[in-house]
Amino acid sequence: MIHLDCDDLFDNWRQQARWLLSHEVDPSRVSWASDHVADLFASDDAPPANPGPFQARIPRTLLDTLERAARYRGDQRWSLLYEVLWRVSHGDRTAMLAGDRLGSELTRRIKQVQREAHHLHAFVRFVAVQQEEGPEYVAWHEPAHDILHSASEHFVGRMGRHRWLIATPRDGVYYDGEQLIYQRQCPTEWQTLAKNVEDPHGAMWLTYYSHIFNPARLNPKVMQGHLPARFWKNLPEGVLIPGLISQARTGKQQDGQASSIKGRAGKRIALTENERDSPP
Amino acid sequence: MELIDKLSILADAAKYDASCASSGAPKRSSEGKSGLGSTDGMGICHSYTPDGRCVSLLKVLLTNFCLYDCQYCVNRRSSDVPRARFTPEEVVTLTLDFYRRNCVSGLFLSSGIIRSADYTMEQLVRVARLLREEHEFRGYIHLKTIPEADPALIEEAGRYADRLSVNIELPTDASLQTLAPEKQLGSIKQAMQTIFTGEQTVLNEPRASRFAPAGQSTQMIVGADDTDDSTILHGAQALYGNFKLRRVYYSAFSPIPNSPKSVPLAAPPLMREHRLYQADFLLRSYGYTAGELFKGPGHLALDIDPKLAWALANREVFPLDLNRAAASLIARIPGIGLRTTERLVALRRERRIRYEDLARMRCVLAKAKPFVITSDYHPLQAEVTSQLLYQQLRDRPQPQQMGLWG
Repeated sequence: MIHLDCDDLFDNWRQQARWLLSHEVDPSRVSWASDHVADLFASDDAPPANPGPFQARIPRTLLDTLERAARYRGDQRWSLLYEVLWRVSHGDRTAMLAGDRLGSELTRRIKQVQREAHHLHAFVRFVAVQQEEGPEYVAWHEPAHDILHSASEHFVGRMGRHRWLIATPRDGVYYDGEQLIYQRQCPTEWQTLAKNVEDPHGAMWLTYYSHIFNPARLNPKVMQGHLPARFWKNLPEGVLIPGLISQARTGKQQDGQASSIKGRAGKRIALTENERDSPP
Repeated sequence: MELIDKLSILADAAKYDASCASSGAPKRSSEGKSGLGSTDGMGICHSYTPDGRCVSLLKVLLTNFCLYDCQYCVNRRSSDVPRARFTPEEVVTLTLDFYRRNCVSGLFLSSGIIRSADYTMEQLVRVARLLREEHEFRGYIHLKTIPEADPALIEEAGRYADRLSVNIELPTDASLQTLAPEKQLGSIKQAMQTIFTGEQTVLNEPRASRFAPAGQSTQMIVGADDTDDSTILHGAQALYGNFKLRRVYYSAFSPIPNSPKSVPLAAPPLMREHRLYQADFLLRSYGYTAGELFKGPGHLALDIDPKLAWALANREVFPLDLNRAAASLIARIPGIGLRTTERLVALRRERRIRYEDLARMRCVLAKAKPFVITSDYHPLQAEVTSQLLYQQLRDRPQPQQMGLWG
């Protein structure tokens, strides 16, 4: 058994996989460390020291596919990729397709990764920081896969010349108005800043969120499917959700109006003579 | 009135519009530029409210003062609701604030009719112009179009907005006359035509300024009158054909406070709205026609989806051999979607399709089983009558707790 550690970096893995493949090392004889936890049953064989004779030919799209799937955090993170690479380089292209046992897992991982990138684009919440230098907007986010670096490019287009920072428990990214600075280990001061920022003007958004909700159409199951509960704690509106749900339930809600609007004085509009005769 | 009070009233007044999409806009970016915002064609749902609906845009009315008296609408002039009015600048401030927070991807602005259709439309356009020109805002803008407004104003709106929409409101002219006496089907369609013409004019001119690049949509209220689904979907099909609408939104009538007697007190089952969306999707993306889905007047079944209903009514087409059938037919198999169809076609170029492949692709096997043939599978159920299959496959409603007071 050959035991490898690529430090969860795709380029390291790619180098290792290329050498293994050149020696035609069967996937069953290799394992990669996950989260730096060594495989209990591994007995170490030394990896080959020089490139071997086998010339693998793989389609150009495969590398891109593997790189995307590599952002997935989970069991067999790297060995699955090697198995796909092995089969495709030995002429079995079905390993890349969703109908295949491996291909279906590969596709599932890519989908999860894409979904997590989308979650970043959707659920990051920037809060303005009152300071002259450094970031103008900061956010704390907890992605489930290694998507921060590739997916945060999106905010460069979105935020223009603003300076912003996204901190996570692992990595972090800062845009200084000109370039994107990625830190694999998020600096503690970034984390502290993002987690403790005060938001004196947060009430507008919370008001909007409460009032755009139609309590007569309560459907928490669908909401949770799209907005998994793990994100609630970092969303400002997250704390409102349980209250809005129980209010809609107990209020025996028959119409869509928010209760705070119901209590207020209303105003019927009378038409003037003129308007009555010639409608607008 | 404080801005936050206005926001609560005017968001509450806007929630009955179903659409909140931010998709279909061209690629725009603010990288290295002054100003704010980007679009890339894909919409983003920044949040979901507990009704399961996506929050993609700041969706508000400019004002809920309204001269019209549409019976289904909470903002009708005879309704006893609190009223408020934003200034255009206030809407701009809110949009930019929410956008920088990454809470929304843009603005969906609509309004009650004040003073005149032209005046109201001018105000809406003014907000869009302020955002685009003064603040160099490149995010998504959806403007509601007032049908009776001057076509020149609609054209101006199309230059600033990504999407324009004119609400058809009700499925038939007769219902419109009863429930929304100030609105006319003629002027609604005229406005749709103006937008359609605007889109066509810039279509083949790469240097022309863009015109509502995310197209136009409309909304139809379902269940406020007694129009059947067949009429609704034939109507939608005509709108897709005549004005190249991107989307028809179906909004189940939501009972309103102090409801007038002319509209029902209860909402139609939300499942009806869901079935209409499913059928609409079959029209837009699967190549079905409304005539195929309905043999005559009537509603869609609530307990089976419209694709399964069509398959059960057309058993002579099935079972289909997945290794041979045309892609357009495979997409008609219940439980197999467009994406899976593509995957099956890709896979069968490499090898024969087996039954277990369907499970891996996460097809709904229970639904697909009676209708497919693979290299190792032939359905026993091919001979079973549609009636029996219907009994096996229909959704059974969850038992409901009775209301305490009946």
